[in-house]
Amino acid sequence: MKLILIQIARLLGGLIAIYGVLLAVSLALVPRTGVAQRLDASRASTSLFLTEPKYVFMTRNQLNTNADKVILLGASNMLVGFKQTQVQTLVPGAEVHNLSVGGSNITQLEQITELVREVQTPEARRHNVYVIGLWYGLFADDKARWYTADRHPGDTDIDIERYRYGFYRRTDAGPVPNLPPQDMDIGVLLIHPYLVLDSVARDLTRSLRGFMAAKPAAITDAQRNAVVLSDAEKLKYLEFWREYMGSVTTLGDAPFHTLQHMVDGILADGGRVVLVDMPIPHWHAQGAVLSIDYRQRAGAVFAALRGRPGVTVLAMNEADTDDDFSDEVHPKPRVTEGWAKRLAASLNNAPELPTRTLAVGTRRESPPSSLPASPP
Amino acid sequence: MSFTSPTFIAFVLAAVLLTSALPTPGGRSGVLLGANLVFIGSYVDSVIQVLPLAGFLVLCYAIIEGVRRRPSSTSLAVGLAIVIGCFVVLKKFSFLGPSLTLPFPYLIIGLSYVLFRVLHLMIDARQGELARPVSPLHFFNYTCNFLSFIAGPIQRYQDYAAHANQPLALNEDKVFRAFARVIAGFLKVGVASAIFKYLFDNMSARLLETALTPSLPMFIGLYLAAAVFYTVYLYANFAGYMDIVIGVAELMGQQLPENFNQPFLARSFLDFWSRWHMTLSDWFKTYLFNPLLTALSRRVTSPKVGPYLGVVAFFVTFLVMGVWHGTTPVFVVYGLLMGAGASVNKLWQVAMTKRFGKKGYKSLTEKTAVIYVSRGLTFAYFALALTCLWLELPQALWLAGRLGIWGGVLGYGVLALAAGLAFLAWDTLIALLAPLRAGAVRAAGGVVARNMVLSLQILLILMITSFFHKAPEFVYRAF
Repeated sequence: MKLILIQIARLLGGLIAIYGVLLAVSLALVPRTGVAQRLDASRASTSLFLTEPKYVFMTRNQLNTNADKVILLGASNMLVGFKQTQVQTLVPGAEVHNLSVGGSNITQLEQITELVREVQTPEARRHNVYVIGLWYGLFADDKARWYTADRHPGDTDIDIERYRYGFYRRTDAGPVPNLPPQDMDIGVLLIHPYLVLDSVARDLTRSLRGFMAAKPAAITDAQRNAVVLSDAEKLKYLEFWREYMGSVTTLGDAPFHTLQHMVDGILADGGRVVLVDMPIPHWHAQGAVLSIDYRQRAGAVFAALRGRPGVTVLAMNEADTDDDFSDEVHPKPRVTEGWAKRLAASLNNAPELPTRTLAVGTRRESPPSSLPASPP
Repeated sequence: MSFTSPTFIAFVLAAVLLTSALPTPGGRSGVLLGANLVFIGSYVDSVIQVLPLAGFLVLCYAIIEGVRRRPSSTSLAVGLAIVIGCFVVLKKFSFLGPSLTLPFPYLIIGLSYVLFRVLHLMIDARQGELARPVSPLHFFNYTCNFLSFIAGPIQRYQDYAAHANQPLALNEDKVFRAFARVIAGFLKVGVASAIFKYLFDNMSARLLETALTPSLPMFIGLYLAAAVFYTVYLYANFAGYMDIVIGVAELMGQQLPENFNQPFLARSFLDFWSRWHMTLSDWFKTYLFNPLLTALSRRVTSPKVGPYLGVVAFFVTFLVMGVWHGTTPVFVVYGLLMGAGASVNKLWQVAMTKRFGKKGYKSLTEKTAVIYVSRGLTFAYFALALTCLWLELPQALWLAGRLGIWGGVLGYGVLALAAGLAFLAWDTLIALLAPLRAGAVRAAGGVVARNMVLSLQILLILMITSFFHKAPEFVYRAF
């Protein structure tokens, strides 16, 4: 046994020594670039975190402040439709963060709120205003969305980041942190060589990955503004979403319960919620069976939630002019300024924050909201 | 229990440390028994799921002991019929239909390799090579050894027993070499196979995307790339798994046989199978090919036909070996391709020997151009035949239809040529780097340096595996 233990000790010693050197070298060659004070997952690809889920997972500690925060949450249409910089300009009195992650469903959005909650003090949580962009694609059932061959069954993209570097461990009761979430910054520092290597590998293999995934070449904003979809392309998109949603004809109840649970959690912490009924192009809304089903069910959900203190519903679904979209869900760059104004107006005109009426677990009188008045 | 999971690593570490704490033959057998039970238990949720395997083992044990006590062709034939019949039912071969399957989920993993070991014991018992009865403990530890339970290597019982009856004897160098072997295995599984699986998954998805309609040359290119990626993935995954289990076995005082010997150096299809999954090939050679050839030779005595009997025996052996890989119709196609490859190879050898004589043919096969053309042809045939392992029959038929006969022939030719040139380039590079390599080996000879090299490999594994959403499964567990 002694021989084996000695061998293990030698390997561990060597591993620690080599990793220490690697950490020092990687920090010297690629210094840690601080993430901007306002989080914006659309910048993930230009950061060392590279992907939106990793960016959100690794940078969330910055949200543990007592400043008022507007946290944009949704899928890629929230990232593209509500540009962090545009909304921030219109809501100068609060920090605007965009934690939207492409390909999310409601389960993953709730996980993001949990991640944020983990790192925040009770006081910081009372300053959160979550803006959640909803549309039918977000209500994909977990079975259809997260049970694919390339992952552990049911793991969301956020779960993958939780386990990737061992910050969390998998248990029957769900992910359990190995490193206290409050110490995530130390963890990110320690995995710096991993992040650098990942970044280098991605740069080196960009062309190959693009070819294998048959990705279209990136286009400019001007080109995106000029896009006109053919009927064949529209049919292809409809077919994609039909398969993406699991080829079902009605949405399940579970995602709606998850939405309810997520809203309940935010309100219980003293935060506020703005539910944005996101538009999709008219042809898509009319052509997708699930969009019609969603419209019927969402009406009842919005009606029930609208009456709750701290919940605002912003109906934007009528902004569905086909020409305003560059594909089946994403708005053209020229319309996002208008979207940002509508959101800012909703944020600034909303009733007083219920956060001010809540202490942790007990109600108290509400001081005025620190959100600014509507801009001119 | 996945071989790439932290749970498996912790489990193996516990088994190794316990074995070295109890180094006597009895102690080691006890630890192995416990480890086997825990390992098999990790694949089931309830006792009932393991009952069919337990029943099968009890039945096999009784038959082996029966054949050993009364060795005769009849007892062996009856025993073989019962055991193979039970195996076919338990394995749920698709041609049986639903009426002959047990009405509850149960453990199937490992059954094929248990069968190989059991048949080997039965036949040896018939031939009088089991002088003493096999104890139930040794029988269980031999047939269900957790290190070779899922996919071999297939060890002879006599070799297992020889080591099981000796105390554990380790020294510093042996321990280091065993660790190095295990880490090399994880390097193959966690790095090489993960990378090639990623490439294969993406390339095959693009190939099978019916909405995309690439030109025929592009389609052939995508297919060849997917086939090559799968082949390298399969090799790295399987050979890596073997390195892991052989290394761990060393630390537990076992000596498992080698299962790979640089298969891509093979200069013919038959040579390939003497280097790939060697213990399986040996098993089939011993228990199917040789008896079949002997039986055929007894019936057909004409010297003109003699050389062609080998062709028939090879076809049957490789057909059975191919079909053994799975229970669905596509594996019959795989078996036919394997059989065709072996028989054509044998026919070629017979024809060339006739044409040039033994010496002339041998000297021809030693020419550089012939070597690399042969290696390219061999690799290309195997890589394309493996398509049956990653496509279902309807998909395979769609692929064949899209390629057409000439597309298939062109693809084979292009891949053979590209592989031959790649092998030539690789060998040249290795030869050029040989002095450097020798220097590096000398420099890494000290205790500190050689452990640093191993630590570096571990770090590489940890870093590369973090790129992927999950570590690759052991692919051969499916066969």
